Amino acid sequence: MSYVKAPAGHFTVLYFAAASSYTAKSCEHLPAPVPALELFAQLEKKYPGIGQKVLSSCAVTVNLEYIDLDGEDAQHKDLVISEGDEVAIIPPVSSG
Amino acid sequence: MSSTLIIDSLRKQISSCEAQLKDLRRQLAEAEQLRRQKQEKERLGETTVANDPLDHDMNYGIADAFRSEVYAALSPLAEENVMRRSWPLEKAEYKRYGRQLIMPEIGLQGQLRLKNASVLIVGVGGLGCPAAAYLAGAGVGKIGIIDGDVVEESNLHRQILHSTSRVGMSKVESAMVFLSSLNPNVQLTPHPSRLTPETAIPTMKDYDLVLDCTDTPASRYLISDTCILLSKPLVSASALRIDGQLVVLNNPPLPPGDPKGGPCYRCVFPKPPPPESVVSCGDGGILGPVVGVMGVLQALEALKVLTRTPEPPSLTIFSAHANPMFRTIRLRSRKPKCAACSSSATVTAEALTSGSLDYVQFCGAVNPVEALRPSERISAENYAKVRMGVNPFTGSENRREGHVLVDVRERVQFGICKLEGSVNVPFSEVARTPVTTTAAEVAQMPNRLDGDGDDRKEANAKESWVDELRRNPDKPIFVVCRLGNDSQVTVQKMKQLGLDNGGKRWIGDIKGGLRAWRESVDLEFPDY
Repeated sequence: MSYVKAPAGHFTVLYFAAASSYTAKSCEHLPAPVPALELFAQLEKKYPGIGQKVLSSCAVTVNLEYIDLDGEDAQHKDLVISEGDEVAIIPPVSSG
Repeated sequence: MSSTLIIDSLRKQISSCEAQLKDLRRQLAEAEQLRRQKQEKERLGETTVANDPLDHDMNYGIADAFRSEVYAALSPLAEENVMRRSWPLEKAEYKRYGRQLIMPEIGLQGQLRLKNASVLIVGVGGLGCPAAAYLAGAGVGKIGIIDGDVVEESNLHRQILHSTSRVGMSKVESAMVFLSSLNPNVQLTPHPSRLTPETAIPTMKDYDLVLDCTDTPASRYLISDTCILLSKPLVSASALRIDGQLVVLNNPPLPPGDPKGGPCYRCVFPKPPPPESVVSCGDGGILGPVVGVMGVLQALEALKVLTRTPEPPSLTIFSAHANPMFRTIRLRSRKPKCAACSSSATVTAEALTSGSLDYVQFCGAVNPVEALRPSERISAENYAKVRMGVNPFTGSENRREGHVLVDVRERVQFGICKLEGSVNVPFSEVARTPVTTTAAEVAQMPNRLDGDGDDRKEANAKESWVDELRRNPDKPIFVVCRLGNDSQVTVQKMKQLGLDNGGKRWIGDIKGGLRAWRESVDLEFPDY
């Protein structure tokens, strides 16, 4: 499948590996803007349990850039996800 | 293992040792020659050095990248009359590596770097096999391989160093047979056991570069931490189903606390995934070319680390069914408070070797599921009797139509083989069904229904499996899965959903699942 560009007023979320299994989706569009720190809460509302089971260990990127939301002094805690952005939820894959 | 294989393996090892001996003799000859040259120079005095035009050109007129090649080409020429001409590579090596040697990205200098390099490959499975093959093929001088497993038939679709005739042989030994016949110039070091916190430092310290080709979160943190402690760059990859990840870590490999060093595994993934969410290739499946492409990319990154200056850190994610298939994410540098590589690191060599860093505990262990009481379980033999018509608990007649057999394996597995008369309710659907909701509430759940048609169908499927089982409230329900874990969780869930009519209907699982069925009832039932 290929990813469709987000419609006006939306951003794209890409789900990889376990995130894709949990949501049964590889991507979707959500309304923008959203503060980065509120993204997980929104996804938890949509997919109950995803926070603890998947998101807690995930890497998150916005427009192919790793974002750091962990802790008080996190570098990107004020970041706002805006219209047209591409967010990726990347759980660690450990098998091989 | 047959005796022919042992003989074959020994022959290969002997030829590998002979190649090493030859290499050592060559190194000795080179060292002796250098000493002779030095003595000769001292005898002639150092009068020519300062005004030597060649010396000037070499220092000021030639780009760094080419200098050593020019030296390498010129120095034997100058000594031509003194003694037999000697080349930096063996005659056969020019031919063997010719196709990469002529590339500006490698060149003679790059080839010599590879030849002098030592690489440790942790795990010779789906990732390690292709990685090792390409690194041995490229002429990396020393390759160490670690693995504690033996070759199994189910490995062969992706672990390309092993073969049908070597099933049962240790993976390390099998890999040695393949690699030494691929390239006898490579010095191979076997480490035929699992890497542990106690052995990690002594095992890894003598190598220039490490490849993480393992398959558990615990080993990934252990290898990354050890690489930080030993200042070794690390090429880490992983793969599951149709997804893969690749990242070059600790490159440049600067000491902990130096922010200019490359990030480590903990910087990218500070928290391990919850243990119950970790899926192995055995449980989740893996496509050979998916893990193969990740292993090949590891070899490529290893060649880059060994021959080029470090690039800014990035994480490459591969997804076979996505478009584009590859995405490369820019990573930040080291995490300011990383537990392993920052100035406030808590991971130390002492903590590692003393065993106080418990990686298994850090990543969490999944205990075997023991969720049900004995009265809620039935052995495969006894279930076979139920199918024959006798209830082993009551002795009463019990025809096959008198019960429901629910198989909770995922649809694909159910499609491979199933017990006659069983109905499929995939465990993923069971797990997603909320306990507190009734069918009517499921229908009203807004988030489940706001998507496309597939979402709606899925939501309907979820309510229907519970409804379907409510339809025959008197028939006992037997739940089966592949190994007997998911079936127990399902039995509990069914009871929470009230399918047991307050205890009036028996619901239980088949102990040990379809594996037990195969082992004790039907040997012909497929083992996949």
